Amino acid sequence: MTTQLSLTLGPDAAQALCIRLDGVGVTFRSSRGAVEAVSEVSLDIGEGEFLALLGPTGCGKSTLLRLIGDLIPPSRGRVEVRGQAAHAARQRNEFGFVFQEPALLPWRTALENVSLPLEVVGFPPEKRRARGKELLRLVGLLGFRNSYPHELSGGMKQRVAIVRALAWGPSILMMDEPFSALDELTRNRLQEDLLALWAVEHKTIVFVTHNISEAVYLADRIVVMSPRPGRIAAVLPVRLPRPRLPEMRDTLEFLEHVREARKALGV
Amino acid sequence: MSETQPPAFADSPSWWERVLPPLLFLVALLFLWEGTVRWFDIPKWLLPAPSAILDRFLKLKTLWLHTGLTVMEALSGFLASAVLGITLSAGIVHSRFLERGVFPYVVVSNAIPIIAIIPLLTIWFGFGYAPKIMIAAIISFFPIVTNTTRGLKSADPRVLDFMRSINATRWQVFSKVQFPSALPFIFAAFRIASSLSIVGAVVAEFYGSDRGLGYLVITSATQLQTDLLFVSIVVLAGLGIGCFSLFGYVERRFGGVETERGYRR
Repeated sequence: MTTQLSLTLGPDAAQALCIRLDGVGVTFRSSRGAVEAVSEVSLDIGEGEFLALLGPTGCGKSTLLRLIGDLIPPSRGRVEVRGQAAHAARQRNEFGFVFQEPALLPWRTALENVSLPLEVVGFPPEKRRARGKELLRLVGLLGFRNSYPHELSGGMKQRVAIVRALAWGPSILMMDEPFSALDELTRNRLQEDLLALWAVEHKTIVFVTHNISEAVYLADRIVVMSPRPGRIAAVLPVRLPRPRLPEMRDTLEFLEHVREARKALGV
Repeated sequence: MSETQPPAFADSPSWWERVLPPLLFLVALLFLWEGTVRWFDIPKWLLPAPSAILDRFLKLKTLWLHTGLTVMEALSGFLASAVLGITLSAGIVHSRFLERGVFPYVVVSNAIPIIAIIPLLTIWFGFGYAPKIMIAAIISFFPIVTNTTRGLKSADPRVLDFMRSINATRWQVFSKVQFPSALPFIFAAFRIASSLSIVGAVVAEFYGSDRGLGYLVITSATQLQTDLLFVSIVVLAGLGIGCFSLFGYVERRFGGVETERGYRR
């Protein structure tokens, strides 16, 4: 077969390497036999890069994210973070995860939810409150610090989930369709917030999405994936200037990127 | 002043609005009962009048001894079950081996009629309160283990992923996520198990004992002291209602309740 080519697709040569996937594959065993979720993925992600994983449902993009974050082990190949196995990076609390659902603890207030990882990673107890308030102020929720999740809107809850993932200062932000359950206006607001955060903290971000314009608007590079089994169909650099501004969404250049990504997706 | 009163409390009936209707019905029923017994001159052993039952209740000096013993047996059994049950559940959610090895027997144990075990425990442990405590423990064990296990497993898988991604220890996952998630389930189990433990203690007392509410029920029935039988039943009903309301209150106060508007602590 001709599809056996194992590309190493890297970021700009100037960027230091952060994450390297080398011939990674994942096979799940189910009652109907083995299912190959991810097949032969090789990919380099640079330090401070904003990378989008774009693809339809079931293309293994979430699996790939969980693989990088060492939540599941690869069946084949190797995942490295800064030259070491992904497991070592997880041990050092390098990953901050945000999921599609806010996944907050309903019996904790916004501030207490942000404090959760601080309690786990051994952040000095006397500094937790101040750090939590600082983070909530960052996303405009300081006034809601004593509110419980059910008292917050969907967008507010997701903001809490984002700062919870940043609380202890992890160097890599892992986002699994974080805005896909939100309405469009809220989604656009949160995209702006995320870019503003990224401009300040400049973490490496791996952002899973099935929304083409979201990927174009946010990312430095878009990795387009195709399903069954999940593999890389194309890698598209986004040549839009930074900072990204809302009015860019209507430019010809932006639409050209969208068109290119749509072609790579085959839709 | 021609202002109308705001209907501020229209939806929430006041205390007496909720209590008065059932109380009225109870009083009416008691009067009907009293009247029927007197009018038809029903013998006391067949159906004693409420006044006779009340009279017996007030004159029975040993009632609190019997009640106290049964409550002690039920409470001890229930507490033992709560401690052992929650510990076993914690083990079950942390060990696939333990779950597969032990959980089937927990389910099977529930199928054994508890009454059939009482003579056996009496052979082993005599006629004292020990076998009664054991029966109370056994009967409340099943709802506690099943509910707690279900509660511990109800923890949000995304939160568990998050905890794993930050390298949380098993104890941190248990104490910060799984156990608090299980609390509403545990309190619901306590509500059921506490009333069951009283049933267990009373039934155990039927078989070989010389005190306790179960003893009172059996002796009063065999001696046709029906008024005494009614006293025992009323006290037992009171205990059952007490358990239910106590843990109902605890559940509302500390357990957090999932409502349509979300989780409220």
